[in-house]
Amino acid sequence: MNEVKVQVRDLRKSFGSVEALKGASLDVRAGEITAIVGDNGAGKSTLIKCLTGLYTPDSGEILVDGRPVSFRSPQDAREAGIETVYQDLALCDQLSVWQNLFLDRELTAGFGPFRITRRRAMRDTAAELLAQLAVNVPPVTRTVKRLSGGQRQAVAIARGVMWAKGMIILDEPTAALGLNETAQVEALIRRVVEQGQTVLVVSHNFEQVKRLTDQVWVMRGGRVVGGTRTEDVTGEQLVGMVTGAIPTVETPRGRGRR
Amino acid sequence: MTTTRPHPSVEAGAARSDRLREALRRIGTEEVWTKLTAPVALVLLIIVFSILKPRFISWPSITTMLADSTIPIVLALGATFAVTLAGIDLSLAATVALGSVTMATAHQAGLPLVLCCIVALATGLVVGALNGTFVGWVRIPDFIVSLGSLSLVMGLCLIISDGKPVIISEPVLTAISTQGMGGIRFNFLIAIAIAIVLHVVLFHTRFGTHLLAVGDNPDAATAMGLRVPRIKLAGYMICGLMGGIGAIMLTSYIGSSQPATNTDYLLKAIAAVVLGGVSLFGGRATIYGPVLGAILLTFLQSGLTLLGVDAFYSPLVIGIVVIAAATLMRGRK
Repeated sequence: MNEVKVQVRDLRKSFGSVEALKGASLDVRAGEITAIVGDNGAGKSTLIKCLTGLYTPDSGEILVDGRPVSFRSPQDAREAGIETVYQDLALCDQLSVWQNLFLDRELTAGFGPFRITRRRAMRDTAAELLAQLAVNVPPVTRTVKRLSGGQRQAVAIARGVMWAKGMIILDEPTAALGLNETAQVEALIRRVVEQGQTVLVVSHNFEQVKRLTDQVWVMRGGRVVGGTRTEDVTGEQLVGMVTGAIPTVETPRGRGRR
Repeated sequence: MTTTRPHPSVEAGAARSDRLREALRRIGTEEVWTKLTAPVALVLLIIVFSILKPRFISWPSITTMLADSTIPIVLALGATFAVTLAGIDLSLAATVALGSVTMATAHQAGLPLVLCCIVALATGLVVGALNGTFVGWVRIPDFIVSLGSLSLVMGLCLIISDGKPVIISEPVLTAISTQGMGGIRFNFLIAIAIAIVLHVVLFHTRFGTHLLAVGDNPDAATAMGLRVPRIKLAGYMICGLMGGIGAIMLTSYIGSSQPATNTDYLLKAIAAVVLGGVSLFGGRATIYGPVLGAILLTFLQSGLTLLGVDAFYSPLVIGIVVIAAATLMRGRK
């Protein structure tokens, strides 16, 4: 039913003598929520940063919609329709909500170098969009500094949703949130998928992975050591796979392919 | 492991929201303070000096003081762009000196006045580009870069001019700082026009938003695809350009080039920026704030002179005002 949205093939990346990725491979299917789990230092962040253009892999392939891509900057990934919500959210605290939503994609009017930003249009669009997402909506003119943790997260995710043309990557989307806010963010992620986007989420929270995702990939020591449909594993099994107590559940792409 | 989790996180959530509310209240008042410091202090200062010396508030006195505030305003506007980037440009006052020297050299070579002015502006842009390149791409701290360029520019001034001022007698140039409309001199009007343009640049263009974003959080700006080094370069070039404009204003005011750096200008520019509520940590700025700050400092200096206070006390007073203003706005970010 679902096409493969992103394929990662044997990705390697070293920093000096440290091999952060030692040949990682995984698939992300379109219209699903896919999780990457793994202990600290397993290579999750490095893999994500290769997918978002912040790092350039040393070798290996990334295919988006079946076409090989090589991202050299965040703009490249963006042009391929992939938006990222970083763990630190990448928000500018002293800018307003709408300014953050439109950062680097401001609406302008005018000719050539004499372009004026359309502040009102951006404000209205931002307000409309946040109201649609209907999650704990902060006023769009408020500075991000004055938002709660959940609201900040909502703004960062809303920015991803608003610009994504196919896929959103979420790095630890609820790590800093309380229970209520976590539930709201999870609801938001589900809504995003209903709208036809593909979601790749990095999470430490196995309950969340069980609740939220369709497919899960386990990383350990710079490799993807296992992948399975989420419904087929228990939380304990995931923990075992992450720690290495259960060496490998399936061949990396076995059950994931069906 | 999993069943005990809800309770601590609920409590942590409640404690966090309490602390958040408290923090919000404090930030709210602080934001008001930073915005109101310059205007309120200016009004108070005018009232106090008017009571002590009614002559202070006379129209000729006010227009003279506004004309005197021209160079501080222009330099404060330049410094605002460096400070908004969470940086600083210590070479700003030296750039003014170098601009006046290159302008005089162009004048001696027989170039028409307009070209001489362009030479001064280009000098400022080059110094700004040098600072911006080293801050943006080579990633040396702004303080060190501009300290280096301060010395470099001062040296160039002395080498090019041989340490001697050159008289530039151009009626049009002199008219800028002696003539005016309704008593308000052209140099002040030009400074206000520049301030309006820079306000539009900072708050109504993409570049302005990006400048604030880079000053606020360079990592977030990079992640969102902004080209941080380029934006820093542009910010420092605007700062340098203001140094060039300051050079033209100074030459117009004095009627000759000024090879010796007047560090008082740098001090005043930074002081005006701080008084104007621009965050020294970057990302938050206004244009009217530094303008009012520069006017405030000039009025303060003139008022003290009018009261018969020795000119030697003026740096002392400015220093106190700056530290007091910075204390008011402490704990930002």
